Amino acid sequence: MAEIGRLTGTRNGLGFATPVALLRAAFVLTALMVWQVLAVSGLFYRDVIPSLEKIWTALIALVSHGDFYWHLGVTFQEIAVGLVIGALSGIAAGLILGGNRFIAAVFEPYLYYLGPTPKIIFFPVMIMWFGVDSGSKIAMGALSCFFPITLNVAAGMRQIDPVLIRVGRSFRAGPWQMAMKIYLPAMRHPIVNGLRLGLGVALIGTLLAETKLSNRGIGFLVIQAYNNFDMPRLYAVLLVLFVLAIGVNALVARFGRLDEIKYK
Amino acid sequence: MATVSTSNRLASVPTTEPAILVVDDLVMRFVTADGGVTALDHVSFGVKPGEFLAVIGPSGCGKSTLFNIVGGLLGGYAGAVTVGGETISGPHASIGMVFQEESTFPWRNVLDNVGFPLEISGVPKRERIERARHFISMVGLDGFEKRYPSELSGGMRQRVSMARTLASEPKILLMDEPFAALDEQTRLLLGDKVLQIQQQLEQTTLLITHNITEAVQLADRILVMTYRPGRVKRIVDINLPRPRTSEIVSSEPFGRYVAQIWNDLREEASRGLSDAETRPLRTHDKPQGQP
Ligand SMILES: Nc1ncnc2c1ncn2[C@@H]1O[C@H](COP(=O)(O)OP(=O)(O)OP(=O)(O)O)[C@@H](O)[C@H]1O
Ligand SMILES: [Mg+2]
Repeated sequence: MAEIGRLTGTRNGLGFATPVALLRAAFVLTALMVWQVLAVSGLFYRDVIPSLEKIWTALIALVSHGDFYWHLGVTFQEIAVGLVIGALSGIAAGLILGGNRFIAAVFEPYLYYLGPTPKIIFFPVMIMWFGVDSGSKIAMGALSCFFPITLNVAAGMRQIDPVLIRVGRSFRAGPWQMAMKIYLPAMRHPIVNGLRLGLGVALIGTLLAETKLSNRGIGFLVIQAYNNFDMPRLYAVLLVLFVLAIGVNALVARFGRLDEIKYK
Repeated sequence: MATVSTSNRLASVPTTEPAILVVDDLVMRFVTADGGVTALDHVSFGVKPGEFLAVIGPSGCGKSTLFNIVGGLLGGYAGAVTVGGETISGPHASIGMVFQEESTFPWRNVLDNVGFPLEISGVPKRERIERARHFISMVGLDGFEKRYPSELSGGMRQRVSMARTLASEPKILLMDEPFAALDEQTRLLLGDKVLQIQQQLEQTTLLITHNITEAVQLADRILVMTYRPGRVKRIVDINLPRPRTSEIVSSEPFGRYVAQIWNDLREEASRGLSDAETRPLRTHDKPQGQP
């Protein structure tokens, strides 16, 4: 809830000219300037810190080549499929844990231990199970986002005000009506929050897997640029990646607020 | 529905009429870590069609337990509750409940909150909106249809809950301290509203309260409960003329009723207090078991 409040809090009538926005812009500009100074200073080995022009040129080269979009598509698809699998199983698991104290008492400790474990250690297993291609990357994404989504949904279900459930029952709502008209709307914030966290870690899991072993995808482009010591290109790929991650995250946040601007 | 005429009727409904709601020898025990609590101990009473019965008792005497059992939300009791001769085994179609706690859906605006029971029973959208508006206006919330609960005051939210329950057009209205969280003035004015509505709809009402003024202001009969175990201590007929308004609270017979009920209650309330001093407080309005 605080999260939503913070997001809407920055949206006032002043638009871009808020102190926060100005300071943010100033910070970015300063960072770019420092970067450029370091780049031309010659203090670093060759292209470790390439100049802004070089990165810009590499960026243009990157995005004007059809290959890049193919790789982007591969990664996007892997993340999307991984997220869908992880989200569906995570929501289901979360509902079971949230609805049954006994099952929760048995299994939740495992989730809390496994949740923060870096999922990349399971990558070799995933390769064996799902192959070196997209399968193992999707599995990494799904595995990564399963945990935060499950835990958020389970916690969200427990937080539902019990009186709202009694209201539904007193009006003799059926199980399906209870789910659609009470449980889901009451759990909207934790579900969206879980999806956001899940998306973040699915992104990490998939990309990390791509950098380890693959011949396609954005993660592969990053590691390929590194192997060729093409630093400007490496930074260009990372830049694109940042922008995409921010965009997708904003999209999920927005989806969570679609018709509830008034609902605290 | 109720056949009692409201014109110049006195408080007591003709005794010949059979009760529409019968609570028959209810016993409810909660098992807890430190033994158990008998919340209801052989509680029996009937409510006649169109009658307004108030149940009053000190905190923790079992009022909400009674409310939840009659509403069909709590099982595991001995005895029976019948509605129109039919023994209930879960939420009954003729019963509407207004809860003690804040119970509006925060993600629905006033119109959709009030329309909720109609949505559940599959009333088409246009008719639903029309009927919801009718009950919104009945509780005096015209113009607030598009507001969300977070944009309303506590008293307004309680009125939304009430309109929502009224919209399901229950034969019997059950209310568990619906005004407990409100200040005295709002409580009196909402009491007027309830009286108005109850007289207009000739609705059978069971109001749970621990407020004596409220009980005497609204009820035809008052059932006084004892503190632990919750038993029926006395049932008092309130022979005050109807229609009533909150002005009645300053009348002399009103004062006598209040004094009489207070006499009954004082003993129970002080037992409740000394009990509370010797044992840790516990929240007890949590959802309770399935019927
Ligand atoms: N689920 C439960 N488990 C154990 N004990 C319970 C439970 N529900 C209620 N009780 C006990 O039963 C007794 C009656 O509780 P109840 O909620 O019916 O009181 P009440 O009269 O509504 O009080 P208040 O006026 O404070 O709302 C209390 O002693 C309470 O501790
Ligand atoms: Mg209570």
